[in-house]
Amino acid sequence: MTKSKLTEIRWHGRGGQGAVTSAELVAQAAIGEGKYAQAFPSFSPERRGAPVMAFNRINPDEPIRTRAEVDQPDVVLIMDPNLLSILDATSGLKEGGTVIINTKKSVEQVRKDFGISARLALVDANTIAQETLGVLIVNTTMIGAMIKATGVISSESIKEPFEKRFGRLAERNIKALERAVEETKIGEWLEMAKAKTKEKPGTKGELSWKEIEIGCFITKPGNSVEIKTGDWKSRRPEFDFDKCNKCTLCYFFCPEGCIAKTKDGYFEADLFYCKGCGICATECPKDAITMVEEAK
Amino acid sequence: MTKREGLEVSIAVADAAMLSDVDVVSAYPITPQTHIVEHLAELVANGELKAAYIPVESEHSAMSACLGASAIGARTFTATASQGLELMHEVLYVASAMRFPIVMAVANRALSAPISIWGDHSDVMATRDVGWIQIFVENGQEAVDNVICAFRMGEDKRVLLPVMIHLDGFVLTHVIEPIELPDKKDVDRFLPPFKYPLPLDPEKPVTMGAFGQPFIYTEVKWAQEINLEKSKDVILEVWQEFGKAFGRQYSPIEQYQTDGAKVLLLTMGSYSETAMVAVDKMRNDGKEVGLLKLRLWRPFPYEELRESIKSAEILIVLDRAISFGGPGGPVCSEVKAALYGGEKQPKVVGFVGGLGGRDITMSGFEEMINRGIEIARTGSKREFEIYGVRE
Amino acid sequence: MATAVHGPGIITELEPFTPGHRACSGCAEALAVRLAAKAIGNNAIIVNATGCMEVVASPFPYTSWRIPWIHTLFENAAAVASGVEAGLKSMEKKGKTPERNIKVVALAGDGGTSDIGLQALSGALERGHDFVYICLDNEAYMNTGIQRSSATPYGASTTTSPAGKESLGQITWKKNMPAIAVAHDIPYVATACPSYHRDLMKKVAKAVATPGPAYVHILSACPTGWRCPTDDAIKIGRLAVKTGTFPLYEVENGQYKLNLNLTKLEPVGNYLKMQGRFRHLTEDTIKEIQERVTQEYNKLVALASKSGEKASPE
Ligand SMILES: Cc1ncc(C[n+]2csc(CCOP(=O)(O)OP(=O)(O)O)c2C)c(N)n1
Ligand code: SF4
Ligand code: SF4
Ligand code: SF4
Ligand SMILES: [Mg+2]
Repeated sequence: MTKSKLTEIRWHGRGGQGAVTSAELVAQAAIGEGKYAQAFPSFSPERRGAPVMAFNRINPDEPIRTRAEVDQPDVVLIMDPNLLSILDATSGLKEGGTVIINTKKSVEQVRKDFGISARLALVDANTIAQETLGVLIVNTTMIGAMIKATGVISSESIKEPFEKRFGRLAERNIKALERAVEETKIGEWLEMAKAKTKEKPGTKGELSWKEIEIGCFITKPGNSVEIKTGDWKSRRPEFDFDKCNKCTLCYFFCPEGCIAKTKDGYFEADLFYCKGCGICATECPKDAITMVEEAK
Repeated sequence: MTKREGLEVSIAVADAAMLSDVDVVSAYPITPQTHIVEHLAELVANGELKAAYIPVESEHSAMSACLGASAIGARTFTATASQGLELMHEVLYVASAMRFPIVMAVANRALSAPISIWGDHSDVMATRDVGWIQIFVENGQEAVDNVICAFRMGEDKRVLLPVMIHLDGFVLTHVIEPIELPDKKDVDRFLPPFKYPLPLDPEKPVTMGAFGQPFIYTEVKWAQEINLEKSKDVILEVWQEFGKAFGRQYSPIEQYQTDGAKVLLLTMGSYSETAMVAVDKMRNDGKEVGLLKLRLWRPFPYEELRESIKSAEILIVLDRAISFGGPGGPVCSEVKAALYGGEKQPKVVGFVGGLGGRDITMSGFEEMINRGIEIARTGSKREFEIYGVRE
Repeated sequence: MATAVHGPGIITELEPFTPGHRACSGCAEALAVRLAAKAIGNNAIIVNATGCMEVVASPFPYTSWRIPWIHTLFENAAAVASGVEAGLKSMEKKGKTPERNIKVVALAGDGGTSDIGLQALSGALERGHDFVYICLDNEAYMNTGIQRSSATPYGASTTTSPAGKESLGQITWKKNMPAIAVAHDIPYVATACPSYHRDLMKKVAKAVATPGPAYVHILSACPTGWRCPTDDAIKIGRLAVKTGTFPLYEVENGQYKLNLNLTKLEPVGNYLKMQGRFRHLTEDTIKEIQERVTQEYNKLVALASKSGEKASPE
């Protein structure tokens, strides 16, 4: 394992999930310890629910100069287990690096399901957050898992930033973090793991300047149908045709326009686009739609 | 048959737009551009010009409406000046980036404050980087000819760029002088109908103005830059074609009395004419003085400039705008940059003058040239000097 | 044609605004755009101002628009639409293109409409262009992170009108944009809300069919900025209407007509309490808001009663 003083961290979360806040808190804790640290988001227009990234750099004794996005992280955090099926967590990961995942699964299961042979740190952040905070906000829990897995900051130094940020809710967040420190399971680096290309996830950078249409116009009308916004959801609607009276409300109220008529005149969501907002379930006058956890 | 008439230059510019068969005029009045748009409104009202005239509520909207009209494939014309050009500023970038061949006459005027309705080039210089083709003219005939050429340049499939025609406020816009208005039939032959390749059209929908993330923005901007650079070939071609059709020839840098001239003065716009008279006089007095008139401001004519200064020892540049706190007038600093590192470099001396309508007379030019020569020999305490300021 | 979209049980497959857009989960503004697009149909050109709906619909190289669409700047949608409309008319008149009765529709947020774009809108309405202007009102600048606009309601906490020890959030009353549109003496003005989807589509279709300028003001909940769960946007919209906070009405040639005959307004507190942006409000402030809402609603009832037209029962 190569040991450089600089630790680079990449957070993967969903817009609104607190990846940026997590990175900020970690940086403040490190700075509180007298270290040098950075936290910044991946500057993008992404909306609540869409996959987003945030970054940290921490160096115990030297100022940090680079401001580019982290493309070869030592640590990758996956805040939403469903993200694992849509992005490559180990992209650019340095040799000996750690992938920290919010999941109920065991180390073996994760290795098997996602083929990750890097060092793993797994924590069931959803359960911890739900039980300790009463809401599904996992960012502070994930910091706990990171402290356990890397020790790059200490549980003590995070307390002050938590207090500043959360006020009277700080105590509960500290509890969630401490539980995560206890419960996080580690799976060591397997030699077959190879650092992958450093391609940045989520870009579409293959066009050369000569291939761009005049004015940068788009000549394929409605081609966003290729975008799988269904990746954003953590819950999905299930339709019970027996209860449905074909009132069409779900069809009209879906902001994605992804509910269509079946050939029998019932309605059903196209999960390729469904973002799991739950509007259809809430508005269905017959309770024919139930939102279920997109458990993975 | 062309007719030679005594016409106010503004009227002639509007007539040139009419001869070019524009479909949409969208404009907001500002001195000294008003006569251009008033005459256009009149032509539309009379039915002489078949076009929609949009009397917008601001220059920002004037240029925005031009975007919309151009986007559906209409030939679009507007005119402005000074504060109006500045109010349009952010829209100008969109016009060039979206490749809409709008033609705009700019009646060059100073910028506030203090408010001044008189001419200089401060307005132009604040918009030099907006990605438009920009051409300076020095008299009414040139204005007419270049408005017509502008449509053909901008609309060429190899170009698709908006074009500004800069004409000095008052000293050009408000002067009556002899002008030949080309015959409509000849203009029709010279200027083919406008066919925008990707217009907004329900039969073939396009999305214009998409969100450009970092992975694509550099490519888009580079494509735009290369396109503007390459437009020079088409500009030269159009001027040549125009010369063949109408007998008047234009080029990016025009030379006057430059044969054997050791000292060159570079000017733009209407002051070039007074400068010519000054040069004549100094030649008569036996001084080896010549004049360069910069006509094509964007894309900048690097080769032509380098070619035209080959035999000169001193190049004096007159700017009609100040780049505040900078190296001098914007034109002078670009000229210096263009010549830097070249095999043969004249000493470049920068003057700023003619601000806010301050005249420079023939003897004024003579004085400036003489002072320029002196600076070239003995140096100046400043990066550039201002001409005609009271101490 | 657009008329097929109304009437119970009828749907139309027409989706000029496609899935795959990147609006937040549960965004009612995206829903408003989707419904409006269904009513606008395919023979149209959309001019979009900068804002959430522009950003989420056009991340290059993707677009969610199946019909021609142009975005240029934040404050100029009405002016660009003027140019599109005038250009089409001129080209048709000159015989350069065939007559096709293409509809021009401008879309802009509340910021793009009631603040920075108000001048351009006023100009376009006053000049009488044949176009529809749709204001997508989510009551703040959402695209840049929930800053206040002049359409932000009294008491709402936003990032530039934050609630705090010395502040109750926004301290001004929501600008009455529809009234400003009405003051331009245009043939059609309407308010709508995606929670009343058929009403919304009917109004947009009517606006599109109206010769001359038409203005449709659509209130749509933004779960991100209003701080509510992602499945609440329709419910909240319904309450906005039923509390009288955002009444549904039309103004045809100056004649006001209320679309819902609300015999009794629900207490405004029911609406406010669903949203985190009002969480800090005291009962006193809620009372103050209630008074204002009732007063404004009564003004509207008075205006509508002058026209003699009856509102349909809810
Ligand atoms: C001239 C200018 N000023 C500021 C901005 C930044 N800006 C972009 S969108 C926006 C807010 C949009 O708010 P609104 O119109 O209400 O639309 P929403 O995003 O809420 O749908 C702002 C301030 C800009 N693009 N242009
Ligand atoms: S949960 Fe229902 S309303 Fe929401 S996106 Fe999915 S199908 Fe559409
Ligand atoms: S809202 Fe419910 S009852 Fe109505 S069509 Fe949809 S599933 Fe059926
Ligand atoms: S911020 Fe609000 S308006 Fe913008 S996309 Fe998200 S939910 Fe919609
Ligand atoms: Mg808004």
